Amino acid sequence: MKNIKQWVEDCRSGKETYQSLIDRVPYARFLGIQVVSRGEELYFILPKKDTNVGNPTLPALHGGAVAGFMEQAALLFILLEMGEPRIPKTIDLTVDYLRAGHVRDTFVECSITRLGRRVANVHISAWQVRKEEPIAIARAHFLLSEENSDSE
Amino acid sequence: MCERYVESVRHSHELGIQIIEAREQSVRAVMPWQERLVGNPDTNMIHGGAIFAFLDQLGGLANALRVFPTFEITPTIDFRIDHLRAPTPGAAIIGEAECYRLSEHVAFVRLEAWAEGAEEPIATGMATYMRMKVPNAGTVVAP
Repeated sequence: MKNIKQWVEDCRSGKETYQSLIDRVPYARFLGIQVVSRGEELYFILPKKDTNVGNPTLPALHGGAVAGFMEQAALLFILLEMGEPRIPKTIDLTVDYLRAGHVRDTFVECSITRLGRRVANVHISAWQVRKEEPIAIARAHFLLSEENSDSE
Repeated sequence: MCERYVESVRHSHELGIQIIEAREQSVRAVMPWQERLVGNPDTNMIHGGAIFAFLDQLGGLANALRVFPTFEITPTIDFRIDHLRAPTPGAAIIGEAECYRLSEHVAFVRLEAWAEGAEEPIATGMATYMRMKVPNAGTVVAP
């Protein structure tokens, strides 16, 4: 089985698609996350899908599905920013819901506030109509250290 | 009431959420392990996002219990989750939510999650929800 570093290299060289990398994650397939790359720039899309609906009366997307999408997008985003790719582990995630998420395609943009040796601080923004009007923003911390190397 | 509520929310139905116990302002439920909720295929651990969605749903249920027998829609304002330790691979997740303060416009909720069979929590959460008194909102969960 190919390790994660090899996967990332294959994505960068065009031998594999970024979509195939995220499709290895069953939960990402469950939500239906799509990744489109323009060179090394990544765009994350959560296409409209009935199984991600929360409130049936509005109707609106489930806040948890939006959060899961944001978290998974950030995980892949950091993974590709690392020189030595390792699967990041979520330490915490704080989501501010700003507008109702309508049942339509949702997009996510990530920016790394700081990429340390052990911890990455990431800002995540999810939007539907225009980028300037996010439906949710989030702040998250990810642990980058390898297993059992926390004491180094 | 709780079961009808969960059934009415498609995403929560897909997560397989089942109510264990409902009290006046708190709820305990289980989210069985499912292959499609796995975050890391090498370890079979449930994705943090699924645990987030599960707890967010329980927060909504705790609010519904607190305002019962009236019904309100309570969209999430803010939700924070701390992942304390990795969940046991293949284990179901047990979650608990308590609406510990209900102000005129805002519900405040504490949340916790465990892997089934383990003592120590895997995640804690803190959330606030907006109270929206929508007429006829209860028709979704009414018998």
